[in-house]
Amino acid sequence: MSNSHSSSALKKSLIRTIIFVLLILLVQSRFDAYNQAQLALVLILFIGTLSVTLLTGISGQLSLGQGALMAVGGYSSALMMINLKLSLWVAVPVSIFVSAIAGLLLGITAARLSGPYLAGTTLVIALAIPSLANRFISVLKGDEGLPVDVGYPPTWLSNLLGEITYEQWQLYLALPFAALALFVASNILLARTGRSWRAIRDHESAAALAGVNYSRSKVFAFVISASFAGLAGALYGLRGLVGPSVYPVSLSLTLLTAAILGGIRSIAGAFIGTVIVVFLPDWIELAIGGFEVSEQVSNFLPGLLSSLLLILTVVINPAGVMGAHRHKNK
Amino acid sequence: MDTFLAALFSGTSRGAIYALVALGLVIVWRGAGVVNFAQMGQAMFSTYIASTLIMHQYSYWIAFFVALFAGALMGALLDILVMRPLSNKKKSELLSSESMRAAVPVIASLGILGALQSLAGIIWAAEERGFPAPAKQEGFKIAGNVMPFTSFDVFVIATVLFTLFLTTIFFQKTGMGLAMRATALNQEVAKLSGIRTNHTRTLSWAISGAASSLAGLLVTPTSNLSPNTLDLVLIVGFTAAVVGGLDSPIGAVIGGFIVGLVISFVTFYDTPEDVFLSILALLVLVLIVKPRGIFSGKDARRV
Repeated sequence: MSNSHSSSALKKSLIRTIIFVLLILLVQSRFDAYNQAQLALVLILFIGTLSVTLLTGISGQLSLGQGALMAVGGYSSALMMINLKLSLWVAVPVSIFVSAIAGLLLGITAARLSGPYLAGTTLVIALAIPSLANRFISVLKGDEGLPVDVGYPPTWLSNLLGEITYEQWQLYLALPFAALALFVASNILLARTGRSWRAIRDHESAAALAGVNYSRSKVFAFVISASFAGLAGALYGLRGLVGPSVYPVSLSLTLLTAAILGGIRSIAGAFIGTVIVVFLPDWIELAIGGFEVSEQVSNFLPGLLSSLLLILTVVINPAGVMGAHRHKNK
Repeated sequence: MDTFLAALFSGTSRGAIYALVALGLVIVWRGAGVVNFAQMGQAMFSTYIASTLIMHQYSYWIAFFVALFAGALMGALLDILVMRPLSNKKKSELLSSESMRAAVPVIASLGILGALQSLAGIIWAAEERGFPAPAKQEGFKIAGNVMPFTSFDVFVIATVLFTLFLTTIFFQKTGMGLAMRATALNQEVAKLSGIRTNHTRTLSWAISGAASSLAGLLVTPTSNLSPNTLDLVLIVGFTAAVVGGLDSPIGAVIGGFIVGLVISFVTFYDTPEDVFLSILALLVLVLIVKPRGIFSGKDARRV
């Protein structure tokens, strides 16, 4: 691959990332505290959804265990922060590395599997990993979990920007990580790695004949995807608690739903899907605001609607929201 | 010795139910090429229907058969409404790639699972309710000692064995069963020899739906009924199906008993917390050593 090609991919990814950051900053300034916290959640889960987009959309491996990888990231950063008293700026990056190792182990097992075998095995992993918390109760504190939070904004930042609320701090903290994730994902998609992943996704034997080492590519896709999921998990835990109830199996399914709704092969789709999944309960509340609805209905309506959307997307418009927008590197 | 017997009996009774779940998965996998992750969602839904009937003073047996019928109907409807339109979309961009062709029906089945669980939550509330057993759940007494084996366990094992017998007869001795086996073997050839493969596919969804509803009716008396209770049963049933070989009905049944015994012995001799880890270990072990499962035929799918 020529240098000019990869540098144009870098430039493109950088421009996308800058536009993304500016848009988020612009939007958040018009939001109230609740929606700022919601937007911070979008940024965190966006990183998780990207892990699905890369793994399933680009390299063609369906994993239902992304929530377990998020738990790996969450627990490792929380343990470092609590037991080693490390700052979150050290703990979170190291937890990405720990998750990448977990992804390597998972990928080596998974490279042998395909389709429903892979989906089922990763689903079992999603259930088994959180139960480790009760197995090693002295370190991982069982169902109680490990309390961690984002702390307070540093004084130099408040001096620079004026008073920063807790919600804004959550958002400012997630933004650089989300931007980094977007930059890396965009680069992968535009460059050689993405091309080889798409090749193994579309036709394994043809890709192998064209010189792609497909088992290595599959494992590498798992490692990258696990790093994304681990980062998302670490940030997700910083919202207050790291525990088995924070990373349930349904979290993996939420990420998958977000990726599919937006368009499983597109980065912009990953963001749109995450926005839909996070804000859907609020929109439903707005829509049924005038009617008397029991709590039972309002609790389960978002789940019902997002599941129906998922089925409809898969059956009617498998390419998702971003499907209409065809791009060169699909 | 007592612990050993207790583990053995409870494992056999549980294993019978997992065998049924695994069989449901295998029938749809062979008949339609889909691993149906919504299966126990369907079972949960029909068990709720049975539970509602019983609460309205209908007899257990009316509720029992209504639930089986509801399970079969739901299975058929899912195939007609979701899976058949999906498989007609083979030429779409997303389904054109090799790896996604197997993944997309799985995603659809997860959507169905989510929809059924939320719907059950809306209709029946999320609180857990019990579900009655048709037989006593107290251990047999032999010479004054309470044995770890109940009349309900006998009922479970007998029902499962009878169901397995019926399924075997159906697949081996009837024309429809032959048509379904032919479709599982090679859909194109089956179509050319005049078999309506659309019908056999829908029928395998219906049979699997009824089988898993039966599993739901048999498992809920010992646990509780809530929209999510049967998720774990699905995971265990999937492991059982993979252990025995997704292609092999007999393998699925034996896999069910193996997994049931493993879980039971881990629970009795170790702690219940290790159950998932042991299932995961068993699954990974089988996938590494014998990826097609212990009893799968030679022409199984490459994994």
